[in-house]
Amino acid sequence: MNRLSEIARQSAWNRRSTLVWVVVSLALATALLWTLERLRHDIRHSFSQSVSGVDLIVGARSSPVQLLLFSVFHIGNVPQGMSMDSVRMLAQHRSVSWVVPLSLGDAHRGFPVLGTTAAYFQHFAYGDKQRLALRQGAVFADTLDGLYEAVIGAEVARQMGYDLGQSITLSHGMHGHADGAHDEHADKPFRVVGILAPTGTPVDRTVHVSLQALEALHLDWVAGTPLPGGQIPADQARKFKLEPEEVTAALVGLKTRAAVFNVQRFVNFHEPEALMGVMPGVALGELWSVLGIGENALLAVSGLVALVSIVSLMAVVLAGLNERRRELAVLRAVGAGPRHVLGLLTLEGVWVTCAGVLLGVLLAQAAMALATPWMQQALGIRLQMAAPLPTQLALAAAVLLAGLLASLGPAWRAYRLSLADGLSPRI
Amino acid sequence: MIDIEPLRFAWTRGGADTLALGRWHVGQGQTVFLYGPSGCGKSTLLGLLAGVLSPNQGRVCLLGQDWAALTAGRRDAFRADHVGVIFQQFNLLPYLNVMDNVTLPCRFSVLRRTRCLTAGGPEACAQSWLQRMDLPAGLWTRRADALSVGQQQRVAAARALIGQPELILADEPTSALDAALRQGFMDLLLQAARDAGSTLVCVSHDEQQAARFDLQWSLPAMQETAARG
Repeated sequence: MNRLSEIARQSAWNRRSTLVWVVVSLALATALLWTLERLRHDIRHSFSQSVSGVDLIVGARSSPVQLLLFSVFHIGNVPQGMSMDSVRMLAQHRSVSWVVPLSLGDAHRGFPVLGTTAAYFQHFAYGDKQRLALRQGAVFADTLDGLYEAVIGAEVARQMGYDLGQSITLSHGMHGHADGAHDEHADKPFRVVGILAPTGTPVDRTVHVSLQALEALHLDWVAGTPLPGGQIPADQARKFKLEPEEVTAALVGLKTRAAVFNVQRFVNFHEPEALMGVMPGVALGELWSVLGIGENALLAVSGLVALVSIVSLMAVVLAGLNERRRELAVLRAVGAGPRHVLGLLTLEGVWVTCAGVLLGVLLAQAAMALATPWMQQALGIRLQMAAPLPTQLALAAAVLLAGLLASLGPAWRAYRLSLADGLSPRI
Repeated sequence: MIDIEPLRFAWTRGGADTLALGRWHVGQGQTVFLYGPSGCGKSTLLGLLAGVLSPNQGRVCLLGQDWAALTAGRRDAFRADHVGVIFQQFNLLPYLNVMDNVTLPCRFSVLRRTRCLTAGGPEACAQSWLQRMDLPAGLWTRRADALSVGQQQRVAAARALIGQPELILADEPTSALDAALRQGFMDLLLQAARDAGSTLVCVSHDEQQAARFDLQWSLPAMQETAARG
């Protein structure tokens, strides 16, 4: 086998200008599959890590996926709100341990602003029931003194270079202005009093303020626009009633998990307004089944790309065979048998495929290493530079196997040719 | 050395015979010149002698061994051990250097590799044959496709001779050469084959070369005899 592999190596090297493109095409296909599988896994992981310890998310009746996406990931349009009365009623239910109202709709330099209560920092958890931790400072106080205080996520602090005591202004609407020059709520600036430790979840990209603060910001607003003429200065706002009448959603924790269906029924049949209770896990499952269609389509397309590159491998090797008939006849003349010819071409196929798959994996890993900071920043999704997933390995192995099978075709044809040609190829 | 019992060969089953030969014997160390016009079956006869083709009828024996009695794998091994081949042209693997081309048969045949050992191994053996074929040492490490056609033919001859196979088959070895070079090449080849003790069967349509061989056969005449007999 040794003498054969040496000849195969030199023969392949002689045709490297063609073979390199076969390797590149296989590498790109492998890289595509490899990256896609990692992305799919990490996005799911990232999503499912973002909320834990919350038994129900309650909001106005709409689609469970929409409520989950908006309340936890701040993705999508602002849904209809729910009344504070319903929140209080929910809190009085005998199975409910805690309720944390959430109010969304404003932003700071593109980071979403979440209005909530101090209880949020006690109860909200991510990953494996890990609580939020402060890296610096303290949580805002639920008092009038602490009205204009903000707690920011780790990513907000890092990107904007904020420290404790930094003064920030908010803009109306979820998207905000990048430069902050036109912030609609510039008249009521906030002071950063706490910076959270990084979590790898959307919390990192969120600015947290109290519900009352959001109420104060919008005192002089009606239906999403400022009242003409009637500006209320920041200090004056404290004299008004700042209890909100409406919030976006509420997170609910139960005393025992067993009561979850009971409470869900209570919410869904709540008379005064049309509400729904969503179990985060169930909503995530629904999200996956929607995303699954797209994911599978992407995977199918990548599979096709891999197939195309394998067919091109076959085409290139087959097209090259006629030119190689003389080479094969020479080999036969010096004592190589048809089985050597078969081995020669199979060996070449193995090398080309292995090189392609290996290069593809390296390419994909490099690309993901480069994209990780951007993914973290723009999407809050943390790519893991961990060991390859079993599914990734399976995909790479599938490409490898398909490549090997594809190289057997031309090898068999060369075997037949060299049998028929004998020592004098008819060309 | 070579024994042919009356044989028939057709490329397609049931088709017209390409070749029909009577009984034929060549002794060890003899040089044979086979001539005839193009298409008279010369290359087919070489294929039969080398055991890559099998006759539909009759037998071809080399060193007393009937090719047809061997399995395909054994045939390849037997050929590697006992037969050296020179083509009209394109004899060499372009991506190997001259030395590697000459030692190629030793990679496939243990017997020929062993025979080189007395001369100091395949490399030393290759060098001595290249010297005998008058190929300058400066070319030995060049890639095969950097050589002229005449030089390539001499490398091919050295490769056919390495490990002293009992039979050397040459298929129009001079037809790609200029007239001026043919004589010189044939002289070298004949002398080298005699020194190696190998039987040389040379197929050509250039009858000028015939006189220097021990035996001269006209293939069309052999076929006619077979048809009559």
